[in-house]
Amino acid sequence: MSKNLRIINSKYIDQTSRISFKFDGKTLYGFKGDTLASALLANDIHLVGRSFKYHRPRGIMACGPEEPNAIVQVGSDASMTEPNTRATEIELYEGLEASSQNCWPSVNFDIGAVNNFFSPLIPAAFYYKTFMWPANFWKLYEYFIRKSAGLGKSPTEPDKDIYDHRYLHCDVLVVGGGISGIIAAKTAAKNNFNTLLIDDKNILGGTTLFQKNECFKINNSYSNEWLKKEIENLKSLKNLTIKTRTSLAAYHSYNYLLARENLTDHLDLNEKKDKIRQRLWKIRAKKVIIATGAMERPLIFNNNDRPGIMLSSSIKKYIDYYGVKCGQQISLFTNNDSAYETAISLSNSGVSVNSVIDIRDKSNSLIVKQAEKLGIKIHWKHTVVNTNGYKKINSIEIMKLSDDGTTVVGKKMKEGCDCLGISGGWTPRVHLFTQSGGKLKFRDNDNVFLPDKSELDQISIGSCNGDFELDEVTKNSVNLINKFLKVNNNDYENLEIISSKEIDKKNIWLLPSDKPLGKTKPFLDFQNDSTANDVKLALREGFKSIEHVKRYTTTGMATDQGKLSNMHALGIIAETAGVKMGELGTTTFRPPYTPLTFGAIVGRNVGEFFDITRKTPIHDWHAKHNAEFENVGQWKRAWYYPIGNENMHEAVQRESKAARDSAGILDASTLGKIDIQGSDASEFLNRVYTNAWSKLEIGKCRYGLMLNEDGMVYDDGVTTRISENHYLMTTTTGGAANVLGKLEDYLQTEWPELDVYLTSVTDHYATVSICGPNSKKILSKVIPDLNLSDKEFPHMSFKNALIDNIKCRVMRISFTGEHSYEINIQSSYGKSLWEKCFEAGKEFNITPYGTETMHLLRAEKGFIIAGQDTDGTMTPVDLQMDWIISKKKYDFIGKRSLYRSDTIRDDRKQLVGLLTDDPKEVLEEGAQIVLETKKQPIEMLGHVTSSYFSPNLNKSIALAVVKNGKKLKGQKMFVPMKNKTINVTITDTVFLDKENKRLNA
Amino acid sequence: MLNYNSPIMETKEYPDIKISEVEPILKINLRGKNRDFVTKVGKELSIIPPVDPNTSSSNEKLNLLWLSPDEWFLYSNNKIELKDSNFLEDSLFNEISKKKLGSVTNVSDHWVKINLSGTKIFDLLSAGCPFNFSNFKNSKGAVTQTLVNHIDVIIHNKNTNELNLFVRRSFSMHLWSWLNDSARFI
Repeated sequence: MSKNLRIINSKYIDQTSRISFKFDGKTLYGFKGDTLASALLANDIHLVGRSFKYHRPRGIMACGPEEPNAIVQVGSDASMTEPNTRATEIELYEGLEASSQNCWPSVNFDIGAVNNFFSPLIPAAFYYKTFMWPANFWKLYEYFIRKSAGLGKSPTEPDKDIYDHRYLHCDVLVVGGGISGIIAAKTAAKNNFNTLLIDDKNILGGTTLFQKNECFKINNSYSNEWLKKEIENLKSLKNLTIKTRTSLAAYHSYNYLLARENLTDHLDLNEKKDKIRQRLWKIRAKKVIIATGAMERPLIFNNNDRPGIMLSSSIKKYIDYYGVKCGQQISLFTNNDSAYETAISLSNSGVSVNSVIDIRDKSNSLIVKQAEKLGIKIHWKHTVVNTNGYKKINSIEIMKLSDDGTTVVGKKMKEGCDCLGISGGWTPRVHLFTQSGGKLKFRDNDNVFLPDKSELDQISIGSCNGDFELDEVTKNSVNLINKFLKVNNNDYENLEIISSKEIDKKNIWLLPSDKPLGKTKPFLDFQNDSTANDVKLALREGFKSIEHVKRYTTTGMATDQGKLSNMHALGIIAETAGVKMGELGTTTFRPPYTPLTFGAIVGRNVGEFFDITRKTPIHDWHAKHNAEFENVGQWKRAWYYPIGNENMHEAVQRESKAARDSAGILDASTLGKIDIQGSDASEFLNRVYTNAWSKLEIGKCRYGLMLNEDGMVYDDGVTTRISENHYLMTTTTGGAANVLGKLEDYLQTEWPELDVYLTSVTDHYATVSICGPNSKKILSKVIPDLNLSDKEFPHMSFKNALIDNIKCRVMRISFTGEHSYEINIQSSYGKSLWEKCFEAGKEFNITPYGTETMHLLRAEKGFIIAGQDTDGTMTPVDLQMDWIISKKKYDFIGKRSLYRSDTIRDDRKQLVGLLTDDPKEVLEEGAQIVLETKKQPIEMLGHVTSSYFSPNLNKSIALAVVKNGKKLKGQKMFVPMKNKTINVTITDTVFLDKENKRLNA
Repeated sequence: MLNYNSPIMETKEYPDIKISEVEPILKINLRGKNRDFVTKVGKELSIIPPVDPNTSSSNEKLNLLWLSPDEWFLYSNNKIELKDSNFLEDSLFNEISKKKLGSVTNVSDHWVKINLSGTKIFDLLSAGCPFNFSNFKNSKGAVTQTLVNHIDVIIHNKNTNELNLFVRRSFSMHLWSWLNDSARFI
């Protein structure tokens, strides 16, 4: 039966609302307002998990995001369970289930604890040193290392919770709702700045909220009472938005910040349903005030990791805020005055304080005198040399420090206790400041890194700026805020403040023991089990950089990112290496400050909204007719239309046969379309494409190849001359936006003298393409008035037409090698036109075909697809398209590059056709092509770019790029595959209708 | 007869938010640089193209939105009769494009107009739009070209708590679906 360690003095816990929860399967009770950690402590549970490496018992150590030990698994549902959650940040709710991590079969009896006995054999970098050989054993090692790596269990099913994102803009963002943050927010809002105040806790106030002590008074009131009134006053400020339960995760350049708001994590299970769990706020702030406070440091001494050893300030919060005693016989161990605040709070709440062990010689501050007045025993100039108790501390061993603090002297004293509060001073939370690119400076007298220079419009105030005393916090914050916001804030200028002043300071990074260092376990990183000995070992082995020591020892690399361990690691390295801490620098603070759920990062971009989709106006028809869709850029394009149980191959064979034998119909609406107008439109096209455009007649179409500046093929398409100064350019589907951007860029920067205007009309037109020997007959039924004779309407020409009185443009162009027409009509009529064409083509067995058949048909004709047969390294000459390069034009994009020594090499990879010796063998796209298979290493001469089985030719065909391919026609080569080698012959790229008879039929 | 099909054809209402597709609407892209172009547009439309970035000019029938220093977006206030849809385009094309003053391009089906109204429409947009609407929402006629759920849009502040949002037709179904899903949580 666990003890109840709750006292009835807290105003922040609703002791009328009892909440039941389960921890490690056992039902326990807490109150509304509790965290999981406070509720566990109230039930006298300290042991909550096992350490990562040695499986040592570990207990709750802190009360906030810096908690390294109380990392638990929440929930057991396969889709909702969440590992590595800090018990100190989980607000208690009815139905909460949590369990310990990294232990089996239970946290009380953990088989893995055997590691602790072998700990001398597994020091820092054990893995790096041990698992290097024999090299072929790695696969075996990897299996076991992966099995033991990580803490907790990931959910195995999709997350059912809903997450959201929001953008938010403000004049001033204040991060942190402690006393300095509240002063900042109130000042900003009262001076008409649109202000946002965020705090990660459920209520504002920080640590001052429960600071009721004679040594800390403002205007004759206890500081907590004064602050409560200030918080109450915030409600009346119109320009102020307050977001509690909102943790700032990342601070990026240009004052762009990400904050996670917990919306339902604190609600009972039945209240969470259908509500957004967490929202990620994307904040753009004109000015940022960081008021994130400071973290208390632990002390580093032998066996400083036992359950029951806690940060002194956390013990104070548990007693003053949650009304929970962390023990009944508490000892405190400190190097500063903060522990005395805890001692007084405990004493005032009736909890017995054994003694305060202080490494300093003496302190005459107000707070120490108050503790002495209460009769609290103080061991000056003493240190704890050891602790005892396996699953919970039961005693400490104390010795006197030598004058220089490097050793201990005198007799060892033993003091019984069930909790030890430790305080090693304070570390300003400068994480956000450094994330934003700010540079730090080091203050020697209390060993802290502080914000220094920043390029952004931001300041840090309060204890995150190194002000630890109440009077400094208020006075300096007010001055900094006034200057930063350029205001005269009179509200806080004449505050009367009583504040205890810490005068005597002493710091020892690694406290001495009566045992040799090698026989002790002074833990630095509690979560990753790295000790001061590990850091010293790394230094002995030659590591000097803090970044290298961090990675070698894993110090600061756990889920808490070394919030409690980094400063001591730096101190020990500096001390051992004989360098100044300020010169050593810090490791990099990277976002997020505390772990974010994947849900919060992803937001609602899941399922239907995972990626943006574009649909053609004819999409619904394709879907209704059983089309399988392919992603092309963001477009959903009909890929093939299976009938019955057809697979893709069967459907494509049927579709391509039908297109060649009678008629096929394709939705080509996705092609990019750019309307070009202006008196210099022809000159513009001359500069953009490799071929000549000035003489293209009105009503005619021409294929063009567009190059990059480096002479490599960038895009292609057919452009139609609509009238004297009016063209319609088509681009590839995926290249449309980039081509428009590139051309607009050229017009604005390189050719501003040209009178040319571009407008995207990709979405304005639906394009229905009809091809095949019967395409003319079908079109004549759809547009009876249009003269389709070859003389009037030859290949590569266009006509304006009317279909049911709706304007359209008909182009006689072909990407299949068949006689074909493309009809462009306003998108709103696209589906209806498609249906009309389909109806008209029924007597000719018109067959809808998708992109796969389109690719096959064009490959039979040797037509390239930019992006499939090209890869940004192919020139037109490489593609055997020399004919498209005008020799007469003065210039075009990429011209100069076509004559560089590398682009005119004979042995460049060039586009060729490939036929397999076995006509049924279809090559894999991407397969390598070689000339010899026996001589090693095998020289790769090229690869297959497009490959299909052609039902029209009844054999396999392929396009490929091969070194010096132009000169290798008829050459036998090989395509080595996993289980066989395929014999191939290099051929011409055109497999079907070389004379273009079908095109002009 | 060919049938006219707009992509959405729906109106949805949520507490303090109403979203509806409004089509067919005439939309024309106008581009030009010189003074003659501006004069001709003013004469043809009885609206002078606005020169201040992200502003618009309107009359009873038409709105002319600034898109860039040489580009404007014209759209009609009311739905148009399909049979009359080419009239204004032809007249502008003949007077501007054919006379080499600039370009006139019909983009009626390139863009889809979605009307958003209600007191919470800016909250809805903030779910997926990085633009700062704090000044925009108090400036009738203001225009912005921004992203909503990663999709390019033009937004025109038509009235207090009333916006016209233009999205490319191919993206419109996805954006419509996203707007409705987002509206559930406002």
